[in-house]
Amino acid sequence: MKHIKTIKTRDLCESAKNGGCGECQTSCQSACKTSCGIANQSCENSKK
Amino acid sequence: MEKMIHQYKLNGYNIILDVCSGAVHAVDDLAYDAIALYENTPKDGLYKILREKYGKDAEIDECLSQIEELKQSGQLFTPDTYEPMADTLKKRTSGVVKALCLHVSHACNLVCSYCFAGQGRYHGKSALMSFDVGKQALDFLIENSGSRKNLEVDFFGGEPLLNFDVVKQLVAYARSIEKEHNKHFRFTLTTNGVLIDDDVIDFCNKEMSNVVLSLDGRKEIHDRFRVDSKGNGSFDLIVPKFQKLAASRKGRSYYMRGTFTHANPDFLNDIKVMLDLGFDQLSMEPVVCAPDDPSALTAEDMPVVFKQYEELAALMIQRRKEGRPFTFYHYMIDLQGGPCIYKRISGCGSGTEYMAVTPGGDLYPCHQFVGEEKFKLGDIWNGVSNTAVRDSFEECNVYAREECRTCWARLYCSGGCAANAYHATGSVKGVYKYGCELFKKRMECAIMAEVDRLYGDEDDDADS
Repeated sequence: MKHIKTIKTRDLCESAKNGGCGECQTSCQSACKTSCGIANQSCENSKK
Repeated sequence: MEKMIHQYKLNGYNIILDVCSGAVHAVDDLAYDAIALYENTPKDGLYKILREKYGKDAEIDECLSQIEELKQSGQLFTPDTYEPMADTLKKRTSGVVKALCLHVSHACNLVCSYCFAGQGRYHGKSALMSFDVGKQALDFLIENSGSRKNLEVDFFGGEPLLNFDVVKQLVAYARSIEKEHNKHFRFTLTTNGVLIDDDVIDFCNKEMSNVVLSLDGRKEIHDRFRVDSKGNGSFDLIVPKFQKLAASRKGRSYYMRGTFTHANPDFLNDIKVMLDLGFDQLSMEPVVCAPDDPSALTAEDMPVVFKQYEELAALMIQRRKEGRPFTFYHYMIDLQGGPCIYKRISGCGSGTEYMAVTPGGDLYPCHQFVGEEKFKLGDIWNGVSNTAVRDSFEECNVYAREECRTCWARLYCSGGCAANAYHATGSVKGVYKYGCELFKKRMECAIMAEVDRLYGDEDDDADS
């Protein structure tokens, strides 16, 4: 039987190759203004 | 190099997070125990412990081989190799500004006693931003945005609708110049709702990619703090306006943004009121204030708040299955399309790519530092002159704080809020411990809800 179900996630090691374009939303800019993390931001890199 | 996993049980799920690869696994009890022991227990000992609890050798063999397979494919026990990149990114993005919080009004038509901004005046005098100052701020943003295309401007206050004409003029100005500069402005507005009318609603729907609407939930909770100068609560005045605006958004973002304090750590009741009022994009934030403020959350509030977060996640799952979904800002998590590792290690951007502009044109690292004179960065005419403060913010990355370096949530949080850290510890590189505890609980809940979204229906089908 399958003991482990792996959810499809972005490979963070792989993201280092084409990452860092800086186009994504600044973390705290809207809706939060106090306690934001970055997990709920979307990637806007057109070359990923 | 630290290899780190985080494992937890929540809402019937056993969840394993492989911190550095970002992999998320939903596992059975045998795998849950085996993964906990795998890296630190000799194989003989591992078998002995698992056999005593789970019996069958064949099952154990199968489970251990699945664990090893994941380890070999970089989805379990992945080492942290990211620290050198934090420095690389800093150099790559140095001097680029892409987002401004425009304080178009340091005045407010409410006098909320818990306001971090000192009733909108930021501990200074009331002031409204002129069009000329706002225009210069937008020019400053374009000039300093390098190759960034997406630029963000939040109209903030105080209450920005007290200066609505200037807001409209600034948006028109930005739209008139964005194409020639190959930029795209995204505007947002944060309002207490008092001055919302049809004109405001039409304008927001045309120009604002998001509107943030301040509502604390239950009438008695909202009206405890959010009052006018005569002490009258604002709930009855603003709710119909918010309902009209929210209904008119038609797929565009809005957020009902509440604050919970020591007065309502049981904030799920406030979320339920917002849902009953017909709102479905919700955000509820812990109060920001000095630790000795009566509104401040206390150690005794923490277990109550944790329980609220868990029950909120369960409510989200239930409503999704009933076809009545809602979003909670902190539980939005995009596991497949979320940020790259650079974003995850480089922090929120305050003081570097994100700055706040006062009505008079002064620059601060973010809206929460406005009025703290020693954090003033410079102004929109001459740019950043206080490079020491800017440098201290540039150094804020997830590896700058010892507590973050070993925290399982570091690549979801990115080091947290510099303002919270400063207010709690006196240093922007400090750690606001309550904030960390709340953040970690929110991430556990958000990831569990996502696991349920992906696998919960499958399990329901299997049960039926």
